[in-house]
Amino acid sequence: MFENVIDGIFSALFVAAILRVTTPILLPSLGALISEKAGVLNIGLEGMMLSSAFTGVVVSAYAQDWFGFETGVAIGPWLGLALGVSVSVLLSFVLALFHLDLRGDLFLSGIALNILGSSATVAIMFELTGDRGNTSTLASLQMPFIQIPGCVKTETTTNIFEFLCGAFSNQNLMTWIAFIAVFIVAFVLYRTPFGMHLRAVGENPEAAASVGINVKRIRYYALMISGFFAGLGGIHIGMGYLQLFQRDMTNGRGFIALVTPSLGGGTPVGTMIASSTFGFFDALGLRIGSLEIPAQLPQSIPYFATVLALVIYALQRRISQRVTEMRTASGAAFDAAFWGSIQRISILHMLLMMIAVIGVVTSGSMLAAPNGFGGAETAVPAGLLIGVASIALFVIGLPFVRDIFSIQRKWAASALVTIVSLGIYLTLFLALFFEPLLALIIGLVLSALVWFMIGGRVLMRAE
Amino acid sequence: MRFKRKGQASERESAVNLLFVRKHLLMIVGGAAGILVTLFVMNTLFDGSMEKMTGTTDWRNILLVNALVGACIFLFVVELKRQAIRVLLTVVVALLLGFLVTFVFNLDSAERFEQGEFRAQVVSDAEPTENDEVDLEYNKRRGGEFNKPNVVAPVSEIAWTFAGREGDIVSLLAYAKNRRSDVDLLVELRDSSGAVLATATAATEKQVDETFDDLVSTKDAVIEDFALPAAGIYTLYSRPEDIATGVVLSEALSQSQLAFEALLLGPIERVNRWGVWIQDAITLILLGMSFAIVFRAQQFSLGAEGQLYFGALVSGIIALNSPNIPGIILIPFIILASGTAGFIYGLIPGALKAYLGANELVSTLMLNVVATRFFEMVLNFQLKPPDAGYVASAKFTDNAVLPVIVDKTQVTVAVFLLVAVVLVSWLLIRRTPLGYEIRIIGSNLRFADYGGVNSKRTIMLVMAIGGIVAGLAGMHLANGIHRQLILNISFALAFEGVVVALLARLNVLVVPFTGLLYAYLRAGAQFMERDANVSFEVVRMIQAIIILLITAEALVTFFQARQKRADIDEEGHSLIVDPDAAAAPGGDNV
Repeated sequence: MFENVIDGIFSALFVAAILRVTTPILLPSLGALISEKAGVLNIGLEGMMLSSAFTGVVVSAYAQDWFGFETGVAIGPWLGLALGVSVSVLLSFVLALFHLDLRGDLFLSGIALNILGSSATVAIMFELTGDRGNTSTLASLQMPFIQIPGCVKTETTTNIFEFLCGAFSNQNLMTWIAFIAVFIVAFVLYRTPFGMHLRAVGENPEAAASVGINVKRIRYYALMISGFFAGLGGIHIGMGYLQLFQRDMTNGRGFIALVTPSLGGGTPVGTMIASSTFGFFDALGLRIGSLEIPAQLPQSIPYFATVLALVIYALQRRISQRVTEMRTASGAAFDAAFWGSIQRISILHMLLMMIAVIGVVTSGSMLAAPNGFGGAETAVPAGLLIGVASIALFVIGLPFVRDIFSIQRKWAASALVTIVSLGIYLTLFLALFFEPLLALIIGLVLSALVWFMIGGRVLMRAE
Repeated sequence: MRFKRKGQASERESAVNLLFVRKHLLMIVGGAAGILVTLFVMNTLFDGSMEKMTGTTDWRNILLVNALVGACIFLFVVELKRQAIRVLLTVVVALLLGFLVTFVFNLDSAERFEQGEFRAQVVSDAEPTENDEVDLEYNKRRGGEFNKPNVVAPVSEIAWTFAGREGDIVSLLAYAKNRRSDVDLLVELRDSSGAVLATATAATEKQVDETFDDLVSTKDAVIEDFALPAAGIYTLYSRPEDIATGVVLSEALSQSQLAFEALLLGPIERVNRWGVWIQDAITLILLGMSFAIVFRAQQFSLGAEGQLYFGALVSGIIALNSPNIPGIILIPFIILASGTAGFIYGLIPGALKAYLGANELVSTLMLNVVATRFFEMVLNFQLKPPDAGYVASAKFTDNAVLPVIVDKTQVTVAVFLLVAVVLVSWLLIRRTPLGYEIRIIGSNLRFADYGGVNSKRTIMLVMAIGGIVAGLAGMHLANGIHRQLILNISFALAFEGVVVALLARLNVLVVPFTGLLYAYLRAGAQFMERDANVSFEVVRMIQAIIILLITAEALVTFFQARQKRADIDEEGHSLIVDPDAAAAPGGDNV
């Protein structure tokens, strides 16, 4: 059973799945990034995605009535794309109008647009189809899937070429657009005057205005570009990922997109990596659904991970600030390599604690619903064990996360904590492949090596 | 303060007098409005008949609850003063826009005259002719369906032949199959060359009632007693009548009026419908209260949904596991436990925000999903009886259900709990040091820090306190309304709480009124969907419009006199806080 899951994870299909589920997170994330850079975070992404998905689906279905079947099938997706994205941009214009000109609160206006997007789509769907759940009665179309020339579909992948084929061929056009857009956005943000103005407006609107930048106009553009990307994301959900519209089908992706830019350090490529992480969790949730655990647990992992990631991001920012302050204070005497490795080790500690918290949640789930985990006899003791172990690992890791100087002071303890925690996780993972004892040894050695490599050696030398 | 600026009162004495009168005027207006609404609701509920009222069980409790409704209106007027007008105006404008949407949606309602099942028939006393080539025989019905939606080739007209002899007296009928079908038909008699011999678009009352049993309404078409000029093959031609644009518009208008009548008067038609309104209002007011408290400190926490789920889960688990404890002990315990559950689940994002600076908007949204999934998991695997066909817990035993105070409804003792919650929240915000800190953080965080407020602790606490109230809302849903745990127990109610809090301008004494108002719209929407086939979602669109309008400060200056601008600039806030409290955080304005 576990082997199936592991096989599933290291397969081209899984990579393809990650790309597929990353797309509807990445596209709105780029929108969120641009709006955030201009200092007007677009909360209404979810509603814009829904409205664009709905418009695209409906237009592509009705195009066959309007233009005849042949023409309709040919131009339907493109018409759906154009109109869907237009509706989304229009909504973002409304948001900009209400925030920038009518002085409405950005946050609340965004919430209002989310409600509007969710309700109007359902109401119109009810009018058109008589169904308030989905549009399965409409013959809607999909955006084209891109076949890479020379690729044939194979069940198993034996070489790297087949692996790449399995992963990248037959992906939807929108997926390609999403990943290409990352680099376009990066170019626009960092290499064009418009991008520079946009960033200036976000960082210091007064200063930007003082040098003659029209702050309001830039913000209008930023919000509308974010609406554009949200629209593309919606099109992918309704006309790529699925081939119909379901009520509230974006399922919180518009909200996840609000976090990914900050998790990605505010850069387009970082945003892409953060979005792919969510995509990974999403795909994983689908994959381990084949195990005998309640589907709700893997389903909630991405959301839970977001909260943890937020915490880590906040902590990380604080530590960087601390280090920057020290750098300014100590000037030339600042040992960049030393503090860099301390920062890296603190991130490792945070990740370990993140896993410990996930362990606590898992154990909580096992104790609260033992029947979902194969009955009370096995689930309760296992849950207790996991819970106690996770809490213990959490507690021993806590000092190093709260105060990075304790890593400097007690580097041996830090090393020990890392080796124990990481060792346990690695052992659990490796036990799937090797004998338990062997797994334990490899796990411990690996974790010691990890600690040593990412910065431990600098610490030890400094001592 | 306004009259001073206007310079009306130069003498201090008369100024004080005027202020005195004005204050009391507000009270009088509020009181009168409250009493009037109470009387109006009672009057509509019981058709103005005293016997009908006293004949109803629990009529005293109905009167009591309606008196509370009146009290909410009194508080609304007294607390919001001039702002009350703006809130009402916003709702009216949003309703008008909603009406427009309904109208647009109903533009197709005239289509029902063009589609539907029908029958056609040639009635005659003459001998039937023997002819296999034709479609119709005398006195034999034949049917079909005009313009059936979602089919490849819908039938839009029929031309059925029949054989006739010279001098046969025939009547041609085309009529709707039954009363449910609204199709409006015309019928023509054509001879074999295609020339129209007779045509009809309607039937008279007499024909419908007496002559022909089959006819359904006067919209059916009849050519009565036509003498065929010669022997031969004739054609009965029929199709739906063309609809004039005027009919389309007036039809859409009357349908929309029907819908809005159901929306606006539906909830107070009968006691059971009234109960739907009140029980929904209790949940909404609790949620609105939760948001009002949290937003008051300028914390954009949307965690009420998750807290609601945890409150419901905890109270449900207790209810399912204690069948033998008397209700008088169990109910207070359940209330306490659900409040605690909400408190803890609110404490998490609160602590993350206060001590780590994690964005509370995102963290609460994510924790909402986690709570929902957790609820689903426990419900699905632990609480669902093994033989249950759908995912729901067993029904609670009577001792764990909140006692009902109005027969045939689910209006429970939660009404009194709600009164207590409102009072306590008001005391907390206006009369305690913690409330003072909350308000001061809400108006200026930096100032609060300079002033020695422990803002981190306060931010954490305010989110947790909001959680208590949301947890109680979950308890009310589980133990008051559904009396079992079901999937989707909140049904996205939490976001509606945001509207309730905003409409009340975050004033906890006004939240009951706005909660009632909004619950009224929601209840009305249910009856609108049932009675007029307009989607419930229209009300959520109205909700979105309300939020947009109420937050757009510039709209006020656009519509109101210029002198007000000064007041608005004083507020200077992104989020609406009632101006008195914001301008003078310590000032008592009650």
